[in-house]
Amino acid sequence: MSWKRVCSASEVAEKSLKQFDVEGVPVLIANLGDEFRAYPPLCPHMEERLEESGICEAGVLTCSKHLWQWDMRTGEMRGEAEKPLLLYEVKQDNGDVLVNIEKELEYEYDEETDDDDDSFWD
Amino acid sequence: MPARNQKQWMADPNLQRGEWVDSRIYSDPEIFEEELEKIFKKTWIPVCHESELSEPYDFRTTTIAREPVIVARGPDNTVRAFLNVCPHRGMMIERRPAGSFLEGQPSGNPKRMTCMFHAWQFDMKGNCVYISREKEGYQDRLCKENTGLRRLRCEVAMGGFVWVCLDDKPECSLEEWAGKPFDCIRESIDAEPLEVFHYHKAIINTNYKLWHDTNSEFYHDFMHYHNRVTGFNDEYFARKNIGFEHGHVNVTSFEVNYDEYEGFESREELSFPKFPPNQWFMIDLFPGMNFNLRGSALRCDIMTPLGPNKVMIEFRGLGVKADTPEERQTRIEHHNSIWGPFGRNLHEDLIGVTGQGATMNDGSEPRRILHGRHEDNYIHDEVGLRHYYDEWGKWMDRLPSDPMQKYTAPAVAAE
Ligand code: FES
Ligand code: FES
Ligand SMILES: [Fe+2]
Repeated sequence: MSWKRVCSASEVAEKSLKQFDVEGVPVLIANLGDEFRAYPPLCPHMEERLEESGICEAGVLTCSKHLWQWDMRTGEMRGEAEKPLLLYEVKQDNGDVLVNIEKELEYEYDEETDDDDDSFWD
Repeated sequence: MPARNQKQWMADPNLQRGEWVDSRIYSDPEIFEEELEKIFKKTWIPVCHESELSEPYDFRTTTIAREPVIVARGPDNTVRAFLNVCPHRGMMIERRPAGSFLEGQPSGNPKRMTCMFHAWQFDMKGNCVYISREKEGYQDRLCKENTGLRRLRCEVAMGGFVWVCLDDKPECSLEEWAGKPFDCIRESIDAEPLEVFHYHKAIINTNYKLWHDTNSEFYHDFMHYHNRVTGFNDEYFARKNIGFEHGHVNVTSFEVNYDEYEGFESREELSFPKFPPNQWFMIDLFPGMNFNLRGSALRCDIMTPLGPNKVMIEFRGLGVKADTPEERQTRIEHHNSIWGPFGRNLHEDLIGVTGQGATMNDGSEPRRILHGRHEDNYIHDEVGLRHYYDEWGKWMDRLPSDPMQKYTAPAVAAE
């Protein structure tokens, strides 16, 4: 893939987040006022949809579940966060927001360990 | 026989020990508590059917011997059971009777069980995956690795039922426990996936063992008026009770002549896979479950004792998962016309057992409950009851005919 149109700039209000589907890839668009950013849609902590749990304030994105925070421009960790945010490249063209999707970005969540062996019950 | 005075009424009947039980085993609160400890916390209990949690992250909650239990299907499709108790301060983690963890809860996240009290979270394998402000409060002393859920033994077997045992080291495996009595229908119920299409539950003022008795004995044909006037033939009476190890009983099959039931039709077309047409097998499992395969529909009763004189019975009807909508509709009609709340039997059975419950209260003088009929193990023989109560006596170390005495084998050996 490559540069794709996601939405028109007016669809995402200032200081807010909105999730879009770009040919099967879910993308979260943030409107910082002067710029846009694009992230994978889930919180890197525990798969929460940031569109619902995220709060944008003063250039900082806070997931309201467990208060992980990031710099919205760079994705760098702030506060409680233990993993940075991943970003897609974004540009604006003629009132549209475009993202550069080489491949879908996803976080790795902790693998659940398996204890399915008989010695478990000893 | 003239009526009896108090002394005569209280005297032992002219039967052998083992051919009657003392009604205090149904009404004494101390015996009841002991049954939860010694039987229900030790044996395999079916808690639901796997089709009731068919998707990853589906769950159901229940109780066994008052212990809250949750069963959940993991992303790997394995069904696991846990105590539904938070390791933090003992809150019941999940309070819905059934549902899915796929969507997050207000204080939790998708794919996790969340205790709403202080927001601890657990995955479908029982791992603790989140402790709120973990480091701040516990520094390096306690962490998620130490605070997993209490996992319980759980197996999906015998037609897809979900069996749980509260004891980590049960006396025997599920297969050893229930395999043999299931042999008569195993091929049919394991041939392809089944699905629950009917569920209702009833909370009844009677002892759980009295309900089990009505499920095991056919002598109360005399109460089932419709059965009596239409359904009987020689084959009906030619069925036998067969006892198995661990107190389980089978009632053998015969070919039911549905044409003789007014308004009924043959069930041949929708017979369970590999099941001969219109057959009817019954399995009574100790300490209180019943599986009943009548041609085209499987019924399962699971009892949860709530008190000496209170039992919750969950009734399920099952068909073949691959049914077309039309087949399913017919199957449901077959099921409900016999076993639905307005069917032929159920309401009559309920009248019988609540009538017993009404005469057996805590403090009632002990009554002799007779199980002494011998008819060559045919269906009006009470051998199934004798077999069950002998097993009960062993688990409880009490004599069913005089429960304040320790167990000894009855004069008439349990057949
Ligand atoms: S899920 Fe977002 S901070 Fe935990
Ligand atoms: S009791 Fe469950 S988190 Fe505190
Ligand atoms: Fe009955």
